[in-house]
Amino acid sequence: MKTTVLFLLLTTLALGAEAPADACCKEAPVVKKADACCAAPADAAPFSAKSLYQTDVAFTDDAGRSFQLGELHGRPVVLTMFFASCGYACPLLVTDMQAIRAKLPAEIRDQAAFVLVSFDVERDTPAALAAYREQRGLGRDWILLHGNDDAVRELAALLGVKYKPETGGGFSHSNLITLLNREGEVAYQRNGLKGGLDETAAALVVAGAK
Amino acid sequence: MYLRSLTACCCLAALALASAVAAHGAGDTVVMRTIPAGTYEPLLRTTKDAAAVAVPAFLLDERAVTNADYLAFVTANPKWRRSQVSRLFADESYLQHWTGDLEPGPAAPPGAPVVRVSWFAARAYARWAGKRLPTTAEWELAARAGYDGPDGRNEEAMKRDLYAWLARPVPAVLGDAGALRPDFHGVRGLHGLVWEWVDDFNTAMVTGESRADTGLDRDLFCGAGSVGASDTTDYAAFMRAALRSSLKGPNTTTSLGFRCARDAGPLTASLP
Repeated sequence: MKTTVLFLLLTTLALGAEAPADACCKEAPVVKKADACCAAPADAAPFSAKSLYQTDVAFTDDAGRSFQLGELHGRPVVLTMFFASCGYACPLLVTDMQAIRAKLPAEIRDQAAFVLVSFDVERDTPAALAAYREQRGLGRDWILLHGNDDAVRELAALLGVKYKPETGGGFSHSNLITLLNREGEVAYQRNGLKGGLDETAAALVVAGAK
Repeated sequence: MYLRSLTACCCLAALALASAVAAHGAGDTVVMRTIPAGTYEPLLRTTKDAAAVAVPAFLLDERAVTNADYLAFVTANPKWRRSQVSRLFADESYLQHWTGDLEPGPAAPPGAPVVRVSWFAARAYARWAGKRLPTTAEWELAARAGYDGPDGRNEEAMKRDLYAWLARPVPAVLGDAGALRPDFHGVRGLHGLVWEWVDDFNTAMVTGESRADTGLDRDLFCGAGSVGASDTTDYAAFMRAALRSSLKGPNTTTSLGFRCARDAGPLTASLP
């Protein structure tokens, strides 16, 4: 089903149709399966029973765009909760994610998403996250998310991440890098700060196969 | 301006008439009690945690959410029925003591607290009822009350009932959530029937083994320092802290239920 839709879209593009989105429907007779094509946007595949994408909490990315985790469906994902002003573990976690990224075979790396979700609902606004992206030189495959208390708390519970605000405005938190397979199921978690990069990269290759 | 103060007057009058505020969530009929603003002293804290946390006044359900309440919720929300709930949000033991999806049955009397519910489920219930789960600070502040005053930690009758409950095994069929003696705030059963979920259960940073908590945590938890306890005689509070830190969001147990809370409006907060 999904493949068919993709194929049809690709065909449409390849044919040089620069028409608006509904051109797909108009050209339907040419490419036969009209219904599959038109139904596509509304007909999102239901997520698997263990998929994190079942959650309906919403985030905002660093461009200020509303973002549902389900938008990552179909991509291997490396996800870490952090906060931008963190002085100790978070910079290391991001560096580790970059190292994992570098270890990936190109075909997985080109599809993977690297997601950072902030605990700091007050200070890590989309603008602050955009500044962090700049500062760390994170490319387009990095997604930086801001959420409200509710969304952050729920995602942390889904991942098994514990966190707690501290008096100085920072957070104590689990140091956890989570891999999601294409279905959005937790495939692997690296707990702690030291090592495990090769294993994590290898696990993402396995996860990327599903 | 005139209109606004008139409205405020009416609200004040209404609140004064009943310090207990009924919920307006569909199907949720639990009376809520006002817990006045206070200070929560975290039991376990690291050097980076505040010794005292100011808690604004809030409303708390008078009793735990019952099987009857929860039946109304699952009736209105099929995705939270036992046969339909996602394993992401609740483990295999979810509502296992119920006879069927919409039949609590003999092991789950209507007035008994609902148990075997996950944090995700408790949160979804609270949202449906137009409420939220209490925070750890709120729950602990409320639970500090005795029968005769807002701090019952040294009240003999309160301590006796609390420790008698802790010593009893969990009964096969739980008693009525609304039948326990109300505390100073008019709240029942914070101790004595079941443990209860709090919204921020996943703040607890205890890895479970004392040596691990001082050595490993620098790697596992950013920012964690050494842990100290504010009141080493408060055995029940230790049990609650240990329970919270051992739980994951989808977990359910035969002695873990919940109740809901809500922010108190500025008017409620200013009431004597």
